[in-house]
Amino acid sequence: MKGEKKFLAGLAAVAEAAKLADVDVISSFPIRPYTGLMVDLSLKVANGELDAEFVHAEGEHGQLAIVHGASASGARTMTGSSGVGVTYAFETYSPISGGRCPVQMVIADRTLDPPGDFGSEHSDVLCARDQGWIMGWAETPQEALDNTLIYYRLGEDKRVALPQFNCQDGYFVSHIPGDVVVPEQSQVNEFLPPYKLDKPLDPLRPYGHGPQIYSDQGPVLELQRAIVMDKAKEIIPGIMDDFKRIFGRKYDPFIEDYNPNNAEVCLFINGAHAHTARYAIANLKSQGVNLALCKLRFVRPWATDEIAEALSRYKVVGVIETNNSFGVAREAGVFTPEVAATLYDLPENKRPMLISFMAGLGGEAIRLKDFYFMAKKLINTAQRKKLEKPVYWIGFEEDEEDLTF
Amino acid sequence: MSKPKIPKEKQLPEGLIVDCPKTEQEQMTTGGWRILRSVIDQDECTHCRVCWINCPDAAISVDESGDMKINLKYCKGCGICAATCTVGAISRVPELDFDEVVVYRDLPY
Repeated sequence: MKGEKKFLAGLAAVAEAAKLADVDVISSFPIRPYTGLMVDLSLKVANGELDAEFVHAEGEHGQLAIVHGASASGARTMTGSSGVGVTYAFETYSPISGGRCPVQMVIADRTLDPPGDFGSEHSDVLCARDQGWIMGWAETPQEALDNTLIYYRLGEDKRVALPQFNCQDGYFVSHIPGDVVVPEQSQVNEFLPPYKLDKPLDPLRPYGHGPQIYSDQGPVLELQRAIVMDKAKEIIPGIMDDFKRIFGRKYDPFIEDYNPNNAEVCLFINGAHAHTARYAIANLKSQGVNLALCKLRFVRPWATDEIAEALSRYKVVGVIETNNSFGVAREAGVFTPEVAATLYDLPENKRPMLISFMAGLGGEAIRLKDFYFMAKKLINTAQRKKLEKPVYWIGFEEDEEDLTF
Repeated sequence: MSKPKIPKEKQLPEGLIVDCPKTEQEQMTTGGWRILRSVIDQDECTHCRVCWINCPDAAISVDESGDMKINLKYCKGCGICAATCTVGAISRVPELDFDEVVVYRDLPY
């Protein structure tokens, strides 16, 4: 495999990818834990490794406004945030998506205030899942580096032209280093063409963005965006094939189906804790318990058909929610209703039972013991063919200490 | 999943990026919001254009003689031009002091 072997944390890996992608405009504002990315990028710009405009914004809302204008003028842009920074910039997400500016926002996620909790939780950027951005999580620093390149390629494709949230778990991925192969410039040049805009903003040839319309024109613009999000889903598999061909690393397009032991029950997970889950699966196998893992690679676009097909092979699916949506249907988190909708059209004999586990909230690590508890609940439900209850809160369940299967 | 097709007569430019407008829409004036009107003292003005670039409504332009001109149909009277003028050439005068008034729309918006 070509490239230089390094030992990097997730944010440092993204900075390497930004350098290879020759980002033009970077807008920064500090908030833990993503600030490390901007520190790294500012060092690269200062010592001449990366030729980019590095702008200090006055806040996250300003950050997004800056890259919105820069992207509309033809620059490849990068910005980022965490936690309440992501929600502070909220107003800008829809205009950037509707204006079809392929901005990339690197998110090292963080629990939303109150109070100040630096720990990782997916809620901060999941709030923005309706805004028309590509969104996905990286499990390892290598995946974070690769996602940066893949998202630029996907978002800047003329048929798509959508902004992207390049997410990773705060601390678990953003700060804990791992083995990373940093590709060579020639490989990146082959994979990622330069960003070309048909109608860039230009004082000599002015264009208007987002003019006032009459309401009967509204549905057309909404449908246009739905069509391009669908188009993104269509071209993702081709991009992954290209990635494998050029860089030698294979990524499943939408979900990673990890079922080494032919299990009947499956955990549905998003983000870094999948890493621990794989060890749990190996340990459980040695105890004679079979568990599978379905890891989400893209939250948006959500691959309904592919996920339904993958989950239909199991009797029980446990959705791990490292996020919150107080008062949501079925009272778990954000992914349970999405998975339920995905499974809804399956014929009854192929539709698995659905349990939710609230785990990893506040940035707490999901321990191996927690995975064993979840596996036990899945297996018991499969045996009884009946739900004991639909939602479990890890850390608060009374029978958590009893791990006999 | 396939989506319905958008018929040709309804199609709009992607991202609604349109050519810069050449005319004003008479029914969409917002100047009626103003209670303090910015007045530029053309003798004091140095044509530095700080007011022009800071106007959040793009309501200041440069006219044929090179002077800064405020478009009263769209100026909402925020006062940023007066606050940022480098020589203090812009004063804010109550709208009711003027004889001519920006025409209100017949219908409320």
